[in-house]
Amino acid sequence: MRYVHLYFTCIKRSMISRLEYKKDTMIALFSFFFSNLCSLAALYFILQSIPALAGYSLPEVGFFYGFSMLPIALDHLFSDEFWLVAYRRVKDGDMDMHFLRPVPVIFQVFAETFQPEGFGELILGVALIAVCASSLTVKVTLGAIAVLCIGAVFGAVIITSLKVSMAALAFIFKRSGPLLQIIYNFSNYAKYPLAIYPAFIRAMLIFLLPFGLFISLPVDTLLYGTHDPWLLCLAIIICAAVFFALAVRIWTLCERRYESTGS
Amino acid sequence: MLKKYKPFLRAGAIDTMAYRFNILIWAVITVCQVACLVFLWLAVYRSSAGGMDAEIHGFTYREMIAYVVLTTIFNFVTFNNDTLWNINTDIKKGTIGNYLIKPISYRGKFAATSFGSLLTMTLMFGVPLYTAALVTLGCLGFLPDLTFPAFFAHLALFLLAGLCASLLNDTIAYIFGVLCFYTSSGWGLNSLKETLVAFLSGTLLPLAFFPAGLREAVSWMPFAGMSQNPVLILMMKYDLAQSLRCLALSAAWIVLLELFAKLLFTRAVRKVTVQGG
Repeated sequence: MRYVHLYFTCIKRSMISRLEYKKDTMIALFSFFFSNLCSLAALYFILQSIPALAGYSLPEVGFFYGFSMLPIALDHLFSDEFWLVAYRRVKDGDMDMHFLRPVPVIFQVFAETFQPEGFGELILGVALIAVCASSLTVKVTLGAIAVLCIGAVFGAVIITSLKVSMAALAFIFKRSGPLLQIIYNFSNYAKYPLAIYPAFIRAMLIFLLPFGLFISLPVDTLLYGTHDPWLLCLAIIICAAVFFALAVRIWTLCERRYESTGS
Repeated sequence: MLKKYKPFLRAGAIDTMAYRFNILIWAVITVCQVACLVFLWLAVYRSSAGGMDAEIHGFTYREMIAYVVLTTIFNFVTFNNDTLWNINTDIKKGTIGNYLIKPISYRGKFAATSFGSLLTMTLMFGVPLYTAALVTLGCLGFLPDLTFPAFFAHLALFLLAGLCASLLNDTIAYIFGVLCFYTSSGWGLNSLKETLVAFLSGTLLPLAFFPAGLREAVSWMPFAGMSQNPVLILMMKYDLAQSLRCLALSAAWIVLLELFAKLLFTRAVRKVTVQGG
């Protein structure tokens, strides 16, 4: 309870400091829309030159893409500060203040930033899903809805856990931003149906960096009923729990290695 | 005259060296990422009306794979600068003041640092990576048959194009960095710049896939010279005349953008708000 209160206090402070940079926030919001539009345009240009991608029609691929934005957006709202930790803050010795406070460092990093840009992505994702779904004819079941919701929410937990683990490595290597970037970039590949990848990539995207588990499999379940939705829900939740526990463990182990810079 | 920038050139080179372990991890994982992209393109060609032998917008699947591999290496080697972030930090921490009173140009400092970084990256990673990629792609038949004098001409032009790309990238990063004087924060500007460059430089997909009007417009912008054109020069998809035309366009843009950056800086520096020291 104390932490909930503390979280909101910190977030309020972070929002106030964000408003200091109103123009930058507006630009960030715009560039977010723009970046997603560019990726969508790229996909659209590619799909225009072929009849269907591995059997998936344009609206189906669009639905995939829209759904993939939801867990990414949710993660983006809450854990953006870890990018800074990975790229700069450890390297610059800028984490000292967190170690002086009687609250876990990892909590403080979460509470450092709330990124409203995530809402833009969320809205865009839902809009894309709505547009594409209107030209699809699928039988919507309760299970399919459930697995999509679980996939979005617990998928975000998994992404955040990956982010935390990678950012934690900065305590050892000083700068783990590039590593985080590339792990995170794998989320791009879950924007397309898993069917386009050979078996070992599919396996990797389900078991190792499980973007496919919470993006592709739920969408396949909705479109083609390929999996038992309730079993898939369970798998996603267990996976999220394991990833989160691991991430916290890695963070705690790594933060002991933090050394401040002299200046 | 240029001597006073030498320490910055050295600093850029050493800074890049210091994080070579990081860069190594980056390189290893990039391979996974490229593999995924290759599979995406293979699926695209498999799904195309003409099957695997189809040529989509002038690219066979072999050329497309070579393009993906070479663009990835190119971007990795060429775009390794922190210009925008460093300007942002200088503004936020107030260290910009230190540079304004020194007898060196702020722009020159970044150009020298980036050039140092480019040299290190090219020697340390560029040479082995390009060699490995070209030999592998060549043996797999993914590149056109090489005739040696022609290849060396293209290689020379490619190196020049790489230098232009690095300069263009640094100038654009600098311009966006100077814009931080107005926004006081670089986060949004940086993501805007990255998106713009990735999309318009042909990194996401070759500009040939764009609809005709957009493609024509983009081909006159500086961005194609930052990724697509150098790689197509290396792949010998452009003949010598076309390659030289690309280089001329890039050179013209560098001059234009540098002038613009200079103008912008003189205006922006009046706005400088140092937020504590």
